[in-house]
Amino acid sequence: MSMDYFWEITGPMLEGAKTTVLLFFLAIVTSIPLGFAITLVVRSRFKPLAWLANAFIYVMRGTPLLLQMLFFCFGLPVLPVIGEYLVLDRFVAAALAFTLNYAAYFAEIFRGGLLAIDKGQYEAAQVLGLGRFHTMTRIILPQMFRIALPAVSNEAITLVKDTALLYAVAVPELLHFAKTAVNRDFTIMPFVIAGVIYLVMTLILTLFFKILERKFKFD
Amino acid sequence: MTMNNTMIDVRDVRKSFGSLEVLKKVSLQIAPNEVVAVIGPSGSGKSTMLRSLAHLEQVDAGSIRIGNDYLVQDGKYASSAKIKEITARMGMVFQHFNLFPHLTVRGNLELAPKLVKRLPAAEARDRASALLEKVGLLEKGDAYPANLSGGQKQRVAIARALMMNPEILLFDEPTSALDPELTGEVLQVMRQLAEERMTMVVVTHEMGFAREVADRVIFMADGEFIESGTPEQLFGNPRQERTKTFLNRVL
Repeated sequence: MSMDYFWEITGPMLEGAKTTVLLFFLAIVTSIPLGFAITLVVRSRFKPLAWLANAFIYVMRGTPLLLQMLFFCFGLPVLPVIGEYLVLDRFVAAALAFTLNYAAYFAEIFRGGLLAIDKGQYEAAQVLGLGRFHTMTRIILPQMFRIALPAVSNEAITLVKDTALLYAVAVPELLHFAKTAVNRDFTIMPFVIAGVIYLVMTLILTLFFKILERKFKFD
Repeated sequence: MTMNNTMIDVRDVRKSFGSLEVLKKVSLQIAPNEVVAVIGPSGSGKSTMLRSLAHLEQVDAGSIRIGNDYLVQDGKYASSAKIKEITARMGMVFQHFNLFPHLTVRGNLELAPKLVKRLPAAEARDRASALLEKVGLLEKGDAYPANLSGGQKQRVAIARALMMNPEILLFDEPTSALDPELTGEVLQVMRQLAEERMTMVVVTHEMGFAREVADRVIFMADGEFIESGTPEQLFGNPRQERTKTFLNRVL
């Protein structure tokens, strides 16, 4: 394989990787806060709201992400009456599905983090006179995020790979350009290169979270 | 007894967890500057009684008065603002320390005074230094709890409680989670506080400490106050059969 050919196929793939990275960042920065908000709603004392949040988590975790993407891309526009107002850009619709889906997972991760905190932490905060707000923001949440970090890291890596689902709604990204090159040139190399690019992205992410975990080791 | 010479007045307090009655009409009075040790078998309700004083448990009936203020009167609790005001006068030290693992030793000490009492940072820092010195851990200020021994953690917990300037310190089995060779350093700090006439209620299994340091020892069993007296009386000449049986078992 000549260097020229390598760049000829890798160039478009890197171009497509921009879309991959864009989706990744959009999904991660929206789903983490949303997931956290859902955790709070699940734990709220207003039961109907908590029930609704649980139902949301059940649906988003219990159905395929691919189905959710197709639902937002091609399902919403065919709804009677309101459908014509719900024609979203395919990338936007896919990003919406990713955000909601990952928010459900993050909500469960954060809930697990909260459950892992000893009740002695709440008691210590109470006898020191801290109110509910300070107990939550200064004592509980920092510990919750620390406990959740390895699981969040895991989800983030899964998210990088899940971006390949964009292929199914024909938004050109990394995998799309690899497949195009394979079809055109009858060579396996584009798939190998695509794999390497994914590995580089997940490696960077892995290192990032490793550093974060070390920084928040508290010893 | 008039109002002014009781610091803590517990009257006819009852508390059940489901069908299990853990406190059956418990009454006791504690004077200012008094150091009281509460002893008794596991499940005797002594920890529940102590936790009720700090409002970590809610009693079902009876009264608890701290100074001149009722935390609960005839089963009816004060307003939550009033409860906060009353409990702010007490500090508590737990069996499992309950230090905040994500904060340094200094962070543990300074957090509440800054947030709750709005103490300026420099003052909080000075006060933390003074108290860390008092418990012998000035050099550990920047360490995280994970890097401390059990005895050091408990001394930090005591310093943290003292940061809030409590009138009363409650200890819930402060040495029970420690290796035997580490209890001494914690008891030493508590002994020092006792000498400074801090009002202290100590639920403990340390009979040596109760005998040496306490002004008065209270024996509880089965959710009831059985008897109390000076250490000499209670250990040397217990009146009640149940006290004798317990002391024979632990001494």
